[in-house]
Amino acid sequence: MIKRKNTKNKKKQSNFAKLSIFQNNKFKFKKSCPLSVKGAPIIDYKNIKLLKKYMSENGKILPSRITNICQKKQRELSLSIKRARNLALI
Amino acid sequence: MNLYEHTIVVKQEISPSQIEKLTEKYSKIVEKNDGNIVQTQNWGLLNLSYVIKKNKKANYIHFKIKANGKIIKELEKNESIDQNLLRYMTIKVKKFDLETNYFSKNDEIGKKEYNKN
Repeated sequence: MIKRKNTKNKKKQSNFAKLSIFQNNKFKFKKSCPLSVKGAPIIDYKNIKLLKKYMSENGKILPSRITNICQKKQRELSLSIKRARNLALI
Repeated sequence: MNLYEHTIVVKQEISPSQIEKLTEKYSKIVEKNDGNIVQTQNWGLLNLSYVIKKNKKANYIHFKIKANGKIIKELEKNESIDQNLLRYMTIKVKKFDLETNYFSKNDEIGKKEYNKN
């Protein structure tokens, strides 16, 4: 029994370590969404600078688990990125 | 009446005087059918992020249109035939923001937003 418990604990720790790669906070793991704060920029397919922030170097959309964007805003983002791709802006 | 944002991608070889003619041509189509053009923006010659029909650069023209859906059909019908164009796109919007132009040559707007973040 003791051994089993130990293995479980180890698994949890490894997951923790993975999370902490992307997030700098030592104690808080949930950060608020950067695009739903007051005074945040509006998501738009014309605003290339904003869209490029949330894309990888190869032009892929970054997952929300890395960027901490809420579901609603992530949907808007992905839609506007696809629009910009169609116009060859990105 | 609905609000639409309409952008055209024009080939790079086409001279500025011809581009003006194109904008006039398409704005006339809208105005003939009781539509209203609120704003036109010329984004100028931009680099394409990937090659479209052997073009590396293109001119962008952006319209903000207040019109019925039938007029948009007319517009796109004419544009699909036009050989000077590479792409076109219309998007239905709830509100226009007429102040910000993300592609204007003085980068003041872009810098302001960057500072906020």
